[in-house]
Amino acid sequence: MIEAAYAAEDASHGTHDGGLPNPMHQFEIKRLVPFELFGFDASFTNSALYMVIAAALITLFTVFAMRRRALVPTRLQSVAELSYEFVANMVQQNVGTDGMKYFPFIFTLFMFVLALNMLGMLPYSFTVTSHIIVTFALAAFIFIAVTLIGFWKHGVGFLKFFVPSGVPVVMLPLLVVIELISYLTRPISLSVRLFANMMAGHTMLKVFGAFVVALGFLGGWAALAFMVAFTGLEILVAFLQAYVFAILTCIYLNDALHMHH
Amino acid sequence: MGQALRLGMELVAGVAVGGFIGWALDRFLGTAPILMVVFFGLGATAGILNVMRTAKRMQADAQSGKDMPHVPDDDDD
Repeated sequence: MIEAAYAAEDASHGTHDGGLPNPMHQFEIKRLVPFELFGFDASFTNSALYMVIAAALITLFTVFAMRRRALVPTRLQSVAELSYEFVANMVQQNVGTDGMKYFPFIFTLFMFVLALNMLGMLPYSFTVTSHIIVTFALAAFIFIAVTLIGFWKHGVGFLKFFVPSGVPVVMLPLLVVIELISYLTRPISLSVRLFANMMAGHTMLKVFGAFVVALGFLGGWAALAFMVAFTGLEILVAFLQAYVFAILTCIYLNDALHMHH
Repeated sequence: MGQALRLGMELVAGVAVGGFIGWALDRFLGTAPILMVVFFGLGATAGILNVMRTAKRMQADAQSGKDMPHVPDDDDD
């Protein structure tokens, strides 16, 4: 049944009946190496491939850029040092000095999301972060880790985080539930923000790309000019969303470590 | 655009999480649809609370210039 659907999708090459390319075709998961583990479909997909490429690129970049450790840095070494300082400052400002323990995680997270977003900007590539399950897995991991850190640092006292101060006792049961729900929305808003931005942007690019062809030689230039400007904006969004993802992780971490809103 | 989208998302996320918790509790306790209605309201409240907090933080960040990515000045001048 599913195989037949896949075959039909492949045969149509992602085009509608009208002949315009389907803007959602670019988000399709393709199984590169089919693989089954305990009855689960754990195939190596194009999504997994781009994650591996991103991880390999970051490792190669940092190791290769820092291999000489020159006092007067080369251009590549400057970029590596700049990204280090950028994230280090972010952690320092938002979490404080005792948060530097978690710097390796934040740095890895920022570079990984940034690399995935930027790889998605290459033509014919696949944008891993445009799938909500990927961003939600990242956000859920962060959420659980931060909550565990909170309990580990403050013990049961971390539950005071959900009790607002200076409130009449009668109102407390209601407010605690509201605070709890407010806390539980964190992984949702964190993951949906990244996913929605990436998916909306790439769909827009595809739709306007189709307009360039559809409007022909006379009308296509306007759409093409918009495409050029919008591609620039999308590169900015790719960076900004990685930044927002990392800085919100810092803010959540700060809440867990220092317990104030 | 990014900031406005963020505020809207906070509001929707609150309602969605509240509604989901109510729905799950209803299924668990068999009290449908009372808890879902109650938690829908609580979720909306939590959403508004989140929007207020996010807006407050945005304002504070905009005043201290922290809303833009901070790149240290490492020129030696």
